[in-house]
Amino acid sequence: MDSKKGYSKPGEFKPSDLLACAAAREVQDGEIVFAGTGLPMLAIMVAQHTQAPTAVCIYESGSIDGRPIDLPTSVADARCSYQAAVADGLTDVFGQLQSGKVDLAYLGGAEVDLYGNVNCTFMGGPTGKRLTGSGGNTDIHSLARRSVLIMPQVGQKRRFVERVSYITSPGWKIPHWPDKEWVPKKDVYGPAFHGGPAAVISDMGVYRFDENGEMYLDTYHPGFTAEDCRENCSFDLNISRCKGETLTPTYEELELLYKVIDPEGIIMK
Amino acid sequence: MARPKIVSLAEAIGQIKDGDMLTFGGFTVWRRPMAAIYELIRQKKRNLHLVEVNGGTHDDMLVGAGCVGIWESSWCGHELYGKFGSNLARKIENSEILYEDWAHIHALNRLTAGSKGLPFLPTYSAMGSDILNPENDNLGKAGLRDGSNPHIGKHKYVTYKEPFTDSEIILIPAANPEWCITHVQMVGAEGTVRVDGLKFSDQEAIKASKKNIIIAEQVVPEEYLRREPTRNMLPGYLVDYIVELPWGAHPTGLYGVHEPDGNFISEFFKATRTQEGFDKWADEWIFGVKDFQEYLSKLGITRLESLKANPSLGYSSTMKRGSR
Repeated sequence: MDSKKGYSKPGEFKPSDLLACAAAREVQDGEIVFAGTGLPMLAIMVAQHTQAPTAVCIYESGSIDGRPIDLPTSVADARCSYQAAVADGLTDVFGQLQSGKVDLAYLGGAEVDLYGNVNCTFMGGPTGKRLTGSGGNTDIHSLARRSVLIMPQVGQKRRFVERVSYITSPGWKIPHWPDKEWVPKKDVYGPAFHGGPAAVISDMGVYRFDENGEMYLDTYHPGFTAEDCRENCSFDLNISRCKGETLTPTYEELELLYKVIDPEGIIMK
Repeated sequence: MARPKIVSLAEAIGQIKDGDMLTFGGFTVWRRPMAAIYELIRQKKRNLHLVEVNGGTHDDMLVGAGCVGIWESSWCGHELYGKFGSNLARKIENSEILYEDWAHIHALNRLTAGSKGLPFLPTYSAMGSDILNPENDNLGKAGLRDGSNPHIGKHKYVTYKEPFTDSEIILIPAANPEWCITHVQMVGAEGTVRVDGLKFSDQEAIKASKKNIIIAEQVVPEEYLRREPTRNMLPGYLVDYIVELPWGAHPTGLYGVHEPDGNFISEFFKATRTQEGFDKWADEWIFGVKDFQEYLSKLGITRLESLKANPSLGYSSTMKRGSR
């Protein structure tokens, strides 16, 4: 094996490992991070063990800066509160979110569009297939400074669309109600505008948003090409700004994921 | 105000009428008053109006049993134990239930406003989303915003240009449910309530509601809770009925006491993909047992023991959770 900081080679990691590690790299040291269940939890924990040791994790159920020694399986899991600074409730943490204290948030969704609007309520609009609904997804997407979406894409072209069939969570360009005029998010949110979607990380690539709030390909994962990423979108993805291949997980990150953060094999099976 | 009455579960739930608005303590699959959910179903309550910050296994169960007329919340699912609430999804897809979608902050604002005696509370959350699309005002489209139901406001929400900084903001109407049912670890004989672990939105839900049922693992002497008042959540005068019912949150989890029963919830989710599947499940686990004690006997001591938390951690240190 190469040195711990070295990058693993194709075949030495699974797609979900790369997803978790690419997501972890979005965190800067000292940031206040909102995370949900599953890969987002792994990502913030990898970041805290590597480049962002003083990043703080908030779970939307109310625990702040927990230091779990066992991986939580939901945001209200007792494990989230272990060694936490505060374990209170929703009024506290959603109030902090609305006032702009959350730097980065990880979210999931069933559909994402060109402007980073997210759907987790209905596939195909209100007469379509019902999903869980927003939970905190829309609040977090509305009010965090940066949000990072983690989404499956391989064989799931219908999840990357020009317009989501139901906007659960607002992206960079949104309708203004009741006149339905599509406007930039900051025109609607006024003093509560803190930012918006910063990246979409899929099992094929990392996507970011340009000056117009439109998605473009930043890097493609090993084993794929920029063209593969574009073909797996239902809209004409901008690949002109692509920087090349996504950095693979380091040996240190892989060891953290499997030996330190999820030794029980709950998410990292 | 009179002190709360310590009653049986059947007696407490017997006070709830068809058509009442209900809310619950807890969060997704944590600290939900499941014994009360089973009893609501056993007593065949109908046309209940649920308003919750988020749902979970408990509200999907009530919906599957046909107890719910209107569902208002931000989410319904089973966390990692099931992708979504399939009873609610099926009824929404078949237009068999009225529903209103909210953001977390919206639903929280409804109960917080209710708890403070205010008609509304503003927020910026979810502006530009289809949650606030006027075409998705389902109660309005059903003609229910005519003032005839005190729980349904004239508007789903109002966009308002606030007069201090001239920003556009959303006003969310208050909710004041008839009942809040909350499961907690401890209640005093005079009703002082202690919750260990996260409080979620319990205080807002409880204070917004006209009447409260507290279901506790243990009823303890008041003196014990009053030694450390800073650990207590509520005074007894906010509580109307107390039910002592250990394990009453099963299959959801209870901080410091037991884990969620993930296998039980997964089996429930799998069974509920069809109405027939839910009915069969309910025949076995709700109608097939006389009461909650018989339900616990059916689960058996081995299963319950396997869920018990290690008190030093607040969760189980022995449970097999993953593939390694």
